[in-house]
Amino acid sequence: MSGQRDLPIRERLASWVDHLAHVLPAQAPIRDFVHHNTLHGFQHLPFDEALAAAHRLTGAHTYWPEGRFRACFDHGRVTRADLSAALDDAGVADLESTIVRGLTRRDVLLAALLAGEEVAGEQRIAWLRREGRLDDDRLFRHCESAVASLPVADEPGAWEGLCAEVGETRTWRAVLAEVSGEDVLERIRSILQRHLAAHLDLGVAAWRNPAREKGFFAAWRASAGFDLAWELDELPNVRDEILHLPDDPLDVLLDELPRLLPDETRWHGYLERLSLELPGWSGMFLWRDRNPAHGDGTPVAMLDYLTVRVLLERLLTEDLVRRLVGWPMGVAELPAHFMARPDELLVRRAAREVHLPEDLLGQAASLVEQARVGHVDDSAWQALAERLRPALRRVQANGAAWRLLALARQLGLTPDDVDALGAQGVDDLLACSASLNSLQRGQVWLLAYEGHYREQLFSALAANHPRRLSPAGPSAQVVMCMDDREEGTRRHLEEVAPDVETFGAAGFFGVPMYWQGLDDAGRTALCPVVVQPQHLIRELPAHGAEGLAGRHAARRALRLRWRERFYQATRRRALGGPLLAAAGSLPALAALTAATLVPGWFAETRQRWRERFEGRVPTRLALTAERADPATPEQPRSGWSDEEQVDRVAAFLRMIGLTRDVAPLVVIFGHGSSSQNNPHLSAYDCGACSGRHGGPNARVFAALANRPEVRAGLARHGLQVGDGSWFVAAEHNTCDDTVAWYDLEAVPTRFQAGLDRLLAQVGEACRAHAAERCRRLASAPPRPTPWQARRHMLGRANDISQARPELGHATNAAAFIGRRQMSRGLFLDRRVFLISYDPAGDDAQGRIVESILLAAGPVGAGIALEYYFSSVDNERFGCGSKVTHNLTGLFGVMEGADSDLRTGLPWQMVEIHEPMRLLVVVEQSTAVLTAILRRQPPLQELIDNAWITLAAKEPDSGAMARYCPRRGWLPWSGSAVLPQVARSADWFAGESEALAPAVILGGGE
Amino acid sequence: MMAFARSLADWIWLVPVMPLFAVVVTGARVLLGRAHGDAAEPLTARLTSLAAFGGLALMLAIDALALVHGAPGHRRLGHWFGNGNWEATFSFMLDPLSLTLGTLTALIGWLVVRFSANYLHREAGFHRFFIALGFFLSGIQFVLLAGNGLLAFVGWEMCGISSFLLIGYAWHRPVATGNALFAFVTNRAGDAGFLLALGLAAAWLGGFEWTALSRAKEISVVNDRLLVIGFVIAALAKSAQLPFTAWITRALEGPTPSSAIFYGAVMVHAGVYLLLRLEPLLVQVPDVMFGLVVAGLLTAAYAWLCGLVQTDVKSALIFGVVFQVALMFVAIGLGWTTLALVHLCLHAGWRIWQFLLAPSWLSITRERPPPPPAWLRNNQLLYTVALQRFWLDKLAQTLLVEPTQSFSRDVRGLEEHFIDRAIGQPGRGQALHHDRPLVRVDGLPGRLLASLSDSLQHIEYRLLLRGKGGTAEKLLQRAGAYLRTLEGLLEQPRYLMMAVMATFVVIL
Repeated sequence: MSGQRDLPIRERLASWVDHLAHVLPAQAPIRDFVHHNTLHGFQHLPFDEALAAAHRLTGAHTYWPEGRFRACFDHGRVTRADLSAALDDAGVADLESTIVRGLTRRDVLLAALLAGEEVAGEQRIAWLRREGRLDDDRLFRHCESAVASLPVADEPGAWEGLCAEVGETRTWRAVLAEVSGEDVLERIRSILQRHLAAHLDLGVAAWRNPAREKGFFAAWRASAGFDLAWELDELPNVRDEILHLPDDPLDVLLDELPRLLPDETRWHGYLERLSLELPGWSGMFLWRDRNPAHGDGTPVAMLDYLTVRVLLERLLTEDLVRRLVGWPMGVAELPAHFMARPDELLVRRAAREVHLPEDLLGQAASLVEQARVGHVDDSAWQALAERLRPALRRVQANGAAWRLLALARQLGLTPDDVDALGAQGVDDLLACSASLNSLQRGQVWLLAYEGHYREQLFSALAANHPRRLSPAGPSAQVVMCMDDREEGTRRHLEEVAPDVETFGAAGFFGVPMYWQGLDDAGRTALCPVVVQPQHLIRELPAHGAEGLAGRHAARRALRLRWRERFYQATRRRALGGPLLAAAGSLPALAALTAATLVPGWFAETRQRWRERFEGRVPTRLALTAERADPATPEQPRSGWSDEEQVDRVAAFLRMIGLTRDVAPLVVIFGHGSSSQNNPHLSAYDCGACSGRHGGPNARVFAALANRPEVRAGLARHGLQVGDGSWFVAAEHNTCDDTVAWYDLEAVPTRFQAGLDRLLAQVGEACRAHAAERCRRLASAPPRPTPWQARRHMLGRANDISQARPELGHATNAAAFIGRRQMSRGLFLDRRVFLISYDPAGDDAQGRIVESILLAAGPVGAGIALEYYFSSVDNERFGCGSKVTHNLTGLFGVMEGADSDLRTGLPWQMVEIHEPMRLLVVVEQSTAVLTAILRRQPPLQELIDNAWITLAAKEPDSGAMARYCPRRGWLPWSGSAVLPQVARSADWFAGESEALAPAVILGGGE
Repeated sequence: MMAFARSLADWIWLVPVMPLFAVVVTGARVLLGRAHGDAAEPLTARLTSLAAFGGLALMLAIDALALVHGAPGHRRLGHWFGNGNWEATFSFMLDPLSLTLGTLTALIGWLVVRFSANYLHREAGFHRFFIALGFFLSGIQFVLLAGNGLLAFVGWEMCGISSFLLIGYAWHRPVATGNALFAFVTNRAGDAGFLLALGLAAAWLGGFEWTALSRAKEISVVNDRLLVIGFVIAALAKSAQLPFTAWITRALEGPTPSSAIFYGAVMVHAGVYLLLRLEPLLVQVPDVMFGLVVAGLLTAAYAWLCGLVQTDVKSALIFGVVFQVALMFVAIGLGWTTLALVHLCLHAGWRIWQFLLAPSWLSITRERPPPPPAWLRNNQLLYTVALQRFWLDKLAQTLLVEPTQSFSRDVRGLEEHFIDRAIGQPGRGQALHHDRPLVRVDGLPGRLLASLSDSLQHIEYRLLLRGKGGTAEKLLQRAGAYLRTLEGLLEQPRYLMMAVMATFVVIL
């Protein structure tokens, strides 16, 4: 191959691989699970177009199944008016034009949406008739005769078209699966999966492929050359072929691609489709290719993977073609082969037409099976095809009649009305009802569903606007994470303690840092993933506790070493294994019994024993830099200078609007989650801290704000935080609703009384919150008292058998950016991210809200969209049920021991989620927000492409408007009437579904 | 007091029957459509849990009495069936071996049921899972507590069926159903051994009772050897020893708790139990014991090598399990049965914990296990062999599963093309002659009647008019076609194998 031809194709391949990053799952190894938009690669497109593109490319459903939406309609969660408004929102044209007498396009489309797309097959119709279930049989007969005159197409989808799409929407494998009923992907995956997992492994296997240093292609080839499986699989020549492959994977790729597709322009599409057939493995391979620093030194190149994948595709499809047609043939000749055999093709494809009568389906399947193991005469194909053709025509006619029946029912047409439509009328009606494809239908349903909840939220905000609850001279101010889960905690705290004021902010509290705790071997970034920290904060033993710390470290190392030995050696050591298993047996049985019967007690006891063994070490934080070295992400500096500390604290306080009236106690609340036996553990943690616990950030912030140097600096910035105030840090465990307080011994005695009161109030609020959480968990006690709920949550968090330790973000739906007065006293059902922002303290350009939107927008959108996609198609975008998950290579989970790598959220995390886009309501004028949107391309991408919905609430008048990318700001006018209850518990008692907002009278009045 | 102890031991049948009762109730609820939604779950879970706990409590009570008064030993509770030469009974064995393992299994079973109630919450297959799990708990207790081989075999089969059902738990995944079938078919080889041994025991020892085994000295060594080999094949297959190991490595498709109890802790040890039970027979045949040592050592080497390259936690653990079970076979082969029993109990206790905690592997382990020695580390061939698990699953697929599938296909073909047509179906009748559309027949009886009337008519016709001959020719042609098909079938290797096997059976 000449150098000149070589160079461009190399570059083109590289750019194709770059492009794969847009379509493959971008999930990092599971230890660092961080929420992100599953369709991140499509984010440059408008939402609906992106979903359509993803659907075309991956075949995944990008909207909730219509059945789910219709169930919501039946429960009043979507109304006819919502659907009608959604048709306008979606920009469907000519809604008021008349289709047939007295029916507008809007009427027909509404009827079509409510009627659904399902059609019944011949046998089901016959069965319904026999059972007398087809009540309006007369109507159906009229529908049948009405559609009788409609023209029918003859064959299922054209074969040439199917083959022409190879490289665009399908691969040869998919075409072959359609005609042969045999999917070679199963075999390809089985062949590849062990090699892939072995190459990417991050710490399960002891023995690695000796050739792995030369890359995946070389390693695979070295093993495949010795592999006898080819012969056992009746692929005798494959091993020879592999042994004679060129050494350079690129040469192999360029040899193989033309054999699959002579047309060079389709190679890119083909590679893309091919990688998407095993999205999990392809995505992980690409992630490791792009992030070599996170691997173990083994070279990982995407091109290696694609080469092996293309080679296997060619080998196995050729083998299948050979078995299919009976002689060796290139896969590219397949279209012509079947063009010459229309009868065989018809039978083969009809075998997957589900609406055909069962006996015909059975015969077709049986003939295909016969052809697989032996020879079938042309006459047999022909005979069956002759019988299938009229049946296929009947399927079409039945489908049309059924659709007309469903429409007629929705529109309230009588049999005579149907007759009166005439052939043209029926044709127009059916054409109009089918004018929205299933994606557009999904979009209309989604808009209606979102619209319904949006109306409820707007009403709630309008009803709450005149109340402006806010304690004068608060006894304490509590800053929590913006997390939707903390909405509940804050609401209950305000109900328990009306004189406490609460704030919300991204849970790293404006202190991006690398953190190294006392027990940590390395440093971890505690800040949003997009931020690269430049400073390292270490937790050190308190002065005088160094000896204690040394003993603690030694004992801890001893404990972990023995634990490691038990778990690892019992699976691989020849002599030590049986001995250790024997030694560990009785304690393990005892532990299992205790963990099963009394998980909460067992966890507490174990923790106590552990502490007794290792000892508690009082610690301090190394906050202040000793030298002013330059700080970079690669070489983080230890600690900040005084000035940097002041800047961070001041910026944060300004951002949340805590600039005056600082209360005696200010509590900074980080959060984390502590579930057991859960590979998706970090998906429950703080998203603003890269999926880790946010406690250290809270602790660091409070320590900074308490330093006299910082207080003095704050005063220079015009922020008065006097001696009458103290900052306290805590971490809220969202799983068991406990709170761990930091550095309480350092609190001056003058705050002690207030602190004791606050601790009790926070404890009571957490218990009340636990009771609220129980209502959404089917396995929790119904109507628990706060103490029962607390006990239940404690057990739940420590239960190794619990696949749903907590709810996570499963309830998220909206975000409010504004003062707490806007939402204080509203029951928001833990569905809203609450971000504190004081429009009065912002400048005319809204710089503060701009930075909040830039930081919180992507985080909120990432969480909401990941939940959205994992809910709408849990099989493709999510990772299915946890119960069969099997941890692989310490980087992901498979189902069982041989499957694609599963990415996204498990079904248990999203089963109660209501998939909708995040509605962000900002307390700011539309003019300021429009200007911000103009300035900020990242926000344009999110908001103008409708990945999130933006709404504005005028700070003074309370007037609200929603931003529509197509039509601009749409002012809201609606009723501001809301149910009123005394306390949250009165509203949610006995309810288990998502609840509408309500006004809580008790909260802070 | 002694009377009470005796009567308590007579209730031992409750231990396997209670889970079976839970299965029946749950199954009935599913069939009657009563098992829907969250509200239906607690009853299923509690019933199964109660049955498992009841079994545990009963076992513990009998254990306590056994400690005081000595083990009750062999208990015959009733007659099942039999003839003059042999008898099958409902009998239970309550010696220290059975009591120990029965109690341990009851404990593990109860804990796993409790675990599953949370783990499987809201799964579509929740009730199905508990039915299979209850069925297994019953089956394994039959194996461990039965006083005779026949009852144990019933339990043995129940374990096999529930294992099949749970591997195929995710039935919508082709891999899972394929592996379930694979495990099922491979295990049938072991069943053949078990059945053979039972038949021989009936013939030579005059019954299936374990107590009859003590008469093993009375029969000749040749007979004893044949009898033992049958049981040993069964044990090797159930405990996934070579050459049957492949099935267990493909059995990890079910939910984690089922993998834990079946392949991590309990069922995998059933083969070891069987051999411990057969100790009196085994000691008669040192060459078979030597064979056990060889099989155990080979399996251990195999499992150790394969375990080194595994990249997913469940597979890594399963090779650890197979390795240690192999050591138990070695111990039995060397005659160290007490060591094997102790090892079995302790191993089961540890593995159930380790398997149930498999999802925690990320937080439990910190570093990669140390690599094997350098001579092994850099051997590409051995690496490939270990990665492909010595191609055992492919071999078993080719030698066992595929012939079985082809055989079933042929039987189906036979039914479709011959039996169905011969019997005929109502409403499917076709006119035999175009000129007589009213005579419509299907199936052999119909055709017989039609041809009878036909031939009568034919005779009548021949008497009147001379027709053209050639019927014999057609018949001969058709017979020739059938013979060709038969010949084609007989040329297939599976029928050749069957013919060979049939010959062997006749010789034996």
